[in-house]
Order: sequence, then C-alpha cells, then structure tokens
Amino acid sequence: MRIKNMSWRHPALQIATLPLLTVLVLFFLIPFGMTVLLSFQVTKLYQVAWSWDLTTWKDVFSHSYYWVIMARTLKMALICVVLCVFLGLPVAYALVNRLPSMENHVKILIVFAFLADAILKTFGWVLFFDRSGVLNGFLEVLGFGPAASDILFTPTAAMIAMVYNLLPYTIFTIYLSMMRIDRDLIAASYDSGASKLRTFWEITLPLSKPGLLAGAVLVFVLGLGVFLEPKIMGGGTSPLAAELIRQTFETRVNWPLGAALTIVVIGIGALTLMFFGYLLIKTTKSQGGNT
Amino acid sequence: MSRYRFETHLANVILYGSVIATLVFFYIPIVTLVAFSLTESRFLTFPIEGFSLKWYSALFAEKNFLPALWGSLKLSFVVTILSTILGAAAAVAWMRFKFRFQRSFQVLAFTPLLFPQLMLGVVMLLWFSVLGNFFDFSMALWSAVLGHVVYITPFALIIIAVQIHGFDDTLEDAARDSGCSNWEVLREITIPILWPGIFSAGIFAFLLSWGNFYLTYSLAGTSRTLPTFVFSGIANGSSPIFPALATLTFIPALILVGLADFFRRRAAERLKSDTTET
Repeated sequence: MRIKNMSWRHPALQIATLPLLTVLVLFFLIPFGMTVLLSFQVTKLYQVAWSWDLTTWKDVFSHSYYWVIMARTLKMALICVVLCVFLGLPVAYALVNRLPSMENHVKILIVFAFLADAILKTFGWVLFFDRSGVLNGFLEVLGFGPAASDILFTPTAAMIAMVYNLLPYTIFTIYLSMMRIDRDLIAASYDSGASKLRTFWEITLPLSKPGLLAGAVLVFVLGLGVFLEPKIMGGGTSPLAAELIRQTFETRVNWPLGAALTIVVIGIGALTLMFFGYLLIKTTKSQGGNT
Repeated sequence: MSRYRFETHLANVILYGSVIATLVFFYIPIVTLVAFSLTESRFLTFPIEGFSLKWYSALFAEKNFLPALWGSLKLSFVVTILSTILGAAAAVAWMRFKFRFQRSFQVLAFTPLLFPQLMLGVVMLLWFSVLGNFFDFSMALWSAVLGHVVYITPFALIIIAVQIHGFDDTLEDAARDSGCSNWEVLREITIPILWPGIFSAGIFAFLLSWGNFYLTYSLAGTSRTLPTFVFSGIANGSSPIFPALATLTFIPALILVGLADFFRRRAAERLKSDTTET
C-alpha cells in the first residue's frame, strides 16, 4: 500500500485526525495538566484554596504510610506481571503451534471471558472462594473437612483475581508476536540438529520478546491501578494505591492530596514504562543487526 | 530417539495442559455465577440446593435494575458509535498517511490505553468538577461517555488499523479512473472493504463499554449502569438476584462475540475466494 505524504493543510488529514485530537486534548491532556496544578494547592474546610505552595507534596513525602501502600502496589503489580507472562507464554505458544484447527474457538472463548463484565466475574470468584463456597464444597467432598480453604479476603485472593483479569493481555500480545515468526527459521533450526527446547530458547523466545515486553508493560500499568480486586477479593485489609486515592477523594475530600497521589502512581508507571521502552528499542535493534 | 520422544510428550502435556487449565480458570467465576443463579435457596452456599428460576422472576418483579440497564444501553450505544468513527478516522491517518508530528499523534492516541483506568477516571473527574463549578452543571451519563470514548477509541483504532493493513488501494484508483468522486470511492469501495474491521471494532467497543466499571464509577455522577448497580448491590450484601442478573448480561455479550467472529470468518473466506479467482 502506498503511504501518502500529507501536509496539515490537507482536508483529508484534518478530517482523519482533528476530531480525535480535540477529544484527547480537551478530555485527557488538559485534565492531566490540571491535576498537576491542583497538587500544588491546599484544602481548607473541604474546599480547594488556590494558594500555590508545596504543602501537599511535603505531606506526601513525609508520611511513610503512603509509601508503604505505594510499595505494596508496586510489589503486587510486579508479581502479577511475572505470573501473567509465565502463564500466558505456553498458552500463546500452544495457540500458534499446536491448535491450528481449534485456534479460533479457543480465541473466542478467551475473548468472551475477557470482555464479560469485570465486576460480575470478581463476584463469581467471591462465590467460588467463599467459606461455604464452591471450592470448599469440592474440598469437603474430597475429604479435606469443612471449610478447608480460607483464601477469600487475603492478598492471595486479590492476586488471583488480578491475574484473572489481566492474563488475556499477555496471551494476546505474545500470541501476536509469535504469529509473525517465520516458520522457516524454526525448520532451519531443527535441520541443523537443535532440539525443540533449544529451538524454543534460541529462536522462538527471542523473536517473541517484543510481544512479551508489550504484554508485561500493559499488565504492569493496569496492575498499578486495580481497585476492585483488592477491595472485593482482598476484603480491604491491605489497600492498594487506587483504594487510597479513592478514599482521599471521597472520604477525606482532600483533592490536592488525591491529585498528588495520582501523579505519584502515574509517575511510577511512566518511569517503568520508559525503562521497558528503552529495553524494547535496544533488543529490537540488536535483533535487526543479527538477522 | 526415546529422549526426543519424551521431550515431545512432555512439551505436549505442558502446552495442551496450559490451554485447558487457562480455559477452566477463565470460566470458573462465570460458571459459578450461572450455577448460583439457578439455586432455590436464598443463601449463596455450595452445594446448590435445588434448581429453580425463581430468582429470575424475583429480578423482574423488583424492576429496580431497569434504570441501570437502560443507562448501560444508552452509554454503550453512544460510546460504540463515537469510538468506532474516531478510531476509524485515526486508523486511516495512522496507516495510510505520513505527516508532521505523526509520532506525537500516535503516542497521544495510545496513552489512554496505558493509563490505569481509575486514575484516568479521577483525572477527568477533577476536570469535570472544575468545569461544572464554572459553568454550573453536574456530571451524568454524558461525562461517562467522554471518559469511555477516551479509553476505548485506542482499541477500535488497533482493530481497524489491522484491517487497513491488508487493504488493496489499487481498487480505489480503479474506481476513481472510472469516474467516481471521492465521496463515492469512500462509500462504494473503502468503507465496504474495511467493514469487517469496523464492525468488530464496534462490537469490541460496545462490550468494553458495557462491562466498564472504573470509568463509569468515577464519572457518571448519580446515573447508574449495570456494573455500578451490581457493585453497590454486592456492597450491601449479596442475594441470588445478582447471579441471575449476571447471567442475563452474559448472554448478549456471548451473542455479540459469536456474531463478530461469524462476520470476520465470512469476510476472510470471501477474500480467499476472490484472490483464487483472479
């Protein structure tokens, strides 16, 4: 397909880009800028007073409580990334290499589970893990005694729900980059006597790195913002950043503090993203040099 | 040789096993909900005591979910149309044009996808509150529409961009050579060929909006949609009405996903038969 060079004066380019640009500037860039400005104000009698000082930021940096929650959020997001990558990798590989006839059906099943209402699915998990729920019912039948598992309302339950909601992202990004691997490279590797494991390790895995990293970044960023899972499944005993921010806005009605905490979370996400972006560019460049 | 065979067997067990385990994992909560919606008891405990449809009739007798259902339908419908149109236009610019600041445009169009959803909601909530104080309005479904559009358009953009990737633009030249105006080319050639992509982008957008909790929760003001209705319902103690409601919302989603796949496959087959004929 030809790619046309376009000047911004061309009406076709304006029609194609300006509507989306307007929406994004008005309802994404400007609000974000305003959040940054708001973090430099203070709150008096539940009202924002426009005063331009660093009180809120001093508050954020002097309370270790906030940073304990941030560290916990970071830890949960990173564990979730590792789990999603390791669970998604074999599924994506099997979809590409083992299930050519079933591929579409499995994909539809995954897409449907992914698109179904997140809060209803989380509620389903609650019913499953409940003390008198499905899991304990089965365990009792198997002879483990009544209420053998007491997992609900623990961080483990929150993690299971997080992996549940975010795993499809890694499956699909890894799947997409594995689809694009040239089959001849794998055949060539077998012809030169490499074992399956070695071929996977030296051909498939390096070539699916872009998808792996993209999926990992998506899961990480989305994992930083989870709220439903720790609240419903974790029982609210160990709150994460999103819950803290929601409380700051709704219960404490301290908007500047909420704005500052939002920026801290987004900052942590952005820094990690830049780091992974740097890695991604480096690996794709070195790959381009090799082949 | 036997070692090779063992390796193959082990790999197969791991690979097929992981697919099966993942599917079971994905469907545990969904099947649990559907099963509990058919219980006879008013407590959600396992094993399920007896089967009945009485919670469905209880749901329809109470009718308090209807405003939320109506809100969900309106929200998802408007969001689907806006996101699909914006995403299609941007996908054309992304794939077929080269222009100054293209990189910045691409980065900006994708950032909402990489923004934690609750944070996106909070940031927009602050902005709407400031605007609301200034112009004297309060948030309702329309502000949730804007939030959804910002978040969902990148998804629509990717799906349509993939469809554009396989687009044969000599067809447009041929139509233009035979005297079609730009508008006719767009209407008769470009949109029909890109239609499978646009259609699946629309369905994806609808379902993402239908199931979205975070953005609606922050931005819809006092308006309710099904996810926020269920959230407040569970917070007040669970009743078998919610599994019944859940099952009812799964059904349209299932139909839409199946429909999208049917159209995608039919388009792929048509494309294949076209290329073999020529």
